[in-house]
Amino acid sequence: MKVTIKSWTGVATWRWIANDDNCGICRMPFDSCCPDCKLPGDECPLVWGACSHCFHIHCIVKWLHSQPQQQCPMCRQDWKFNNK
Amino acid sequence: MSGIAKTSVLVEEGGNQCRKRSNISASSDQCSKRSKFDDMSSNEKKSNFSMLNPNVNGTIKMTTSSMNKPGATTKKLVIKNFKSKPNLPENYQETTWSKLREAVIAIQTSKAIAYSLEELYQAVENMCSHKMASQLYVNLTNLVEAHVKSNIEQFLSESMDRQVFLKRMDDCWRAHCRQMIMIRSIFLYLDRTYVLQNPSIHSIWDMGLDLFRHHIAMNTLIQTRTVDGLLTLIERERGGDAVDISLLKSLLRMLSDLQIYQDAFEHKFLQATERLYCAEGQRLMRELAVPQYLAHVEKRLREENERLLHYLDPCTKWQLIHTVERQLLSEHVSGVLSKGLESLMDGPRLRDLATLYSLFSRVKDGLTELCSHFNAYIKKKGRTIVIEPERDKTMVAELLEFKEQLDNVVSTCFQRNDRFLYSMREAFEHFINQRQNKPAELIAKFVDLKLRAGNKEATEEELERLLDKIMVLFRFIHGKDVFEAFYKKDLAKRLLVGKSASVDAEKSMLSKLKQECGGGFTCKLEGMFKDMELSKDINITYKQHLSASSECGGLELSVYILTMGFWPTYAAVEVRLPGELTRHQEHFAKFYLAKHSGRKLQWQATLGHCVLRAHFTQGNKELQVSLFQALVLLLFNDGDNLSFEDIKTATNIEEGELRRTLQSLACGKARVLMKTPRGRDVQDRDHFAFNADFTNKLFRIKINQIQMKETSEEQKATEERVFQDRQYQIDAAIVRVMKMRKALSHNLLISELYNQLKFPVKPADLKKRIESLIDRDYMERDKDNPNQYNYVA
Ligand SMILES: [Zn+2]
Ligand SMILES: [Zn+2]
Ligand SMILES: [Zn+2]
Repeated sequence: MKVTIKSWTGVATWRWIANDDNCGICRMPFDSCCPDCKLPGDECPLVWGACSHCFHIHCIVKWLHSQPQQQCPMCRQDWKFNNK
Repeated sequence: MSGIAKTSVLVEEGGNQCRKRSNISASSDQCSKRSKFDDMSSNEKKSNFSMLNPNVNGTIKMTTSSMNKPGATTKKLVIKNFKSKPNLPENYQETTWSKLREAVIAIQTSKAIAYSLEELYQAVENMCSHKMASQLYVNLTNLVEAHVKSNIEQFLSESMDRQVFLKRMDDCWRAHCRQMIMIRSIFLYLDRTYVLQNPSIHSIWDMGLDLFRHHIAMNTLIQTRTVDGLLTLIERERGGDAVDISLLKSLLRMLSDLQIYQDAFEHKFLQATERLYCAEGQRLMRELAVPQYLAHVEKRLREENERLLHYLDPCTKWQLIHTVERQLLSEHVSGVLSKGLESLMDGPRLRDLATLYSLFSRVKDGLTELCSHFNAYIKKKGRTIVIEPERDKTMVAELLEFKEQLDNVVSTCFQRNDRFLYSMREAFEHFINQRQNKPAELIAKFVDLKLRAGNKEATEEELERLLDKIMVLFRFIHGKDVFEAFYKKDLAKRLLVGKSASVDAEKSMLSKLKQECGGGFTCKLEGMFKDMELSKDINITYKQHLSASSECGGLELSVYILTMGFWPTYAAVEVRLPGELTRHQEHFAKFYLAKHSGRKLQWQATLGHCVLRAHFTQGNKELQVSLFQALVLLLFNDGDNLSFEDIKTATNIEEGELRRTLQSLACGKARVLMKTPRGRDVQDRDHFAFNADFTNKLFRIKINQIQMKETSEEQKATEERVFQDRQYQIDAAIVRVMKMRKALSHNLLISELYNQLKFPVKPADLKKRIESLIDRDYMERDKDNPNQYNYVA
């Protein structure tokens, strides 16, 4: 062997696995956080519904609190959290 | 006799100080002892002798007219005298007066007085006591008038040298004052009884002045000759000739004492001044450079002030100085500025600028004009710095220097005047935005250069000061998002390649930006720093995870995990990794995603780098290389002579990138590959072999990746991203405003947007975005009012 690798510093970018670019509630892109947060990441995670729509967790929680029925704002199906 | 001697000594010095001297003689021991008037207040004494008190003026005129018809007064007094004192010798009044008359004439003709002063004082007192004061006063007046009249002739001859004339006038005036002082001291009793009791009667001193004024100074020919002579003398003195200053001073004091200074002299003098400086200003503005001209004006003002000190009456001051300022400065304000300001500023000639400022602050609108020319100068000069692409390399350094120079001028020459500071800021903001985007980009790059490792030109304090200065320039930039885009790109490089000179300096710059533009501006930049810290934690836990499981030994992998939204956008590049690297990469991804669900990772091959162990015949080395360089070198473990095409297929690195990579390995400073045929550029047909004989005195060798020159395309791409981002920000702002207001007219919406948006934008662009949002059903046009929008929930 003429050359072997001693160490490797890699770089990777992460983004949410989402079915849309923007949150359907706050309309901010998923690459940034909800309007109430400062930085995207673990402090402002996304959640998925059984209907497969996803939102900022802060957005859907607020939405559900404001509604008499627990429905997905996009498809009006009953909202159930899908723990991926 | 001693009394005479004393009096003549006192008056010898001349007429100029007659007022002062008369006080002395009046209050001197001998005088007061003899005349027994110790109880007189000094105020009363003064008002008797001073001609400068304007109240006296009115009295003079009144009495002058009453003296013109003395007959009535005389008769009345004569009758009274005889009634009260009948026992005087019959010719007492006549003989006594002739004695006094003789003495006065002796004084007027500079002869010795035949009687002792004691005797004369007594004579005056006796006459006054016997009600002869009025007649005595009339007689004395006539005597003085006759003498003054006899002096007229000498001033009326056809032709006379001006200097001789003035000298003669001065002699005549001084003699008059001298004589009147002596006469007054003899007739002091009259002054202090009869004159005091009759407010309409002049004091003896004033009576003398009045006669002198009436017969000599107010004579048209004599007055014209005197004033013209004085003006000629002053003109010569202004021209630089040495003239008899004391003569000037004495004669001007004469005019003041006679109360004709303003009417007879001042007006003509100011006219002459105006003419002189009008012509001089015009001539010198043509002949002299501005600094010399300003120095000349300063000199002229100084000289005129000295003139006021040395011979002019102080009451002329305001008008005189104002006249000079008007003719030499006010008339030439814009001339001086357009002719000279630019070169003074370019110098910068600080002393001349300070002179300019102090002179212009004397005249109306002087500073306003200076300020507006200063402003125009900054805009013009600044524009040349930012507008020409050839000067881009030095633009920021030049701007910093320019700003510093202007600061210096304003603080040392313009007294830190707020108006100038404000104007300077306005001008900077104006010219720096004359060119779109470029100044913002270059300022960002300038900061990068200073924050990059290896910048040894500054200590930490110096760097801090420099960053502060940069922030001043940054403040003027309208397109701050352009700055942010370029700054972010460079910051990413510094962080990922470990090229940042100091974390403290980075954080300091970040806090400056935050202070200037608010948290919204820096939150992504802060996010980048946060990613770096989180990555450090992740790598520690990953290492612990590895040592626990003993999987994936061999190479040591650490990964920077970047949050997509914070960092610049990197094009996804797919390259072929050797199995070992793929295995490590997948292992890490599995570890990471298990901890962070709902995410996906995108590997950025262009940003990775490695440390390789390389075995050469001369010994082992450690090579610090980019991932691409590593991928190429690893190929030589299995083959020896590889073509460009072979390498391209094996690694799948993009052609241009590969060419630069091979160039760095085979044509750079550390040639670990050998290229055939030799040459600087990498051609498609070239072949490469491992250079087993490679030598280098160092053990660790960094092989720099040849940086692609930042092409105009890459630049455009960054600008394009800024543009895209602006569109998005406009949309977001419109939605935000509409959501809050529900309904809003077009104009109100536009003005709200201008308040919120931090970058330059045209109304037409805003309109386009509104249309687009209407199309996408975020809002709608009101059905009844087309100028109003409604929010669609
Ligand atoms: Zn949301
Ligand atoms: Zn949130
Ligand atoms: Zn749904």
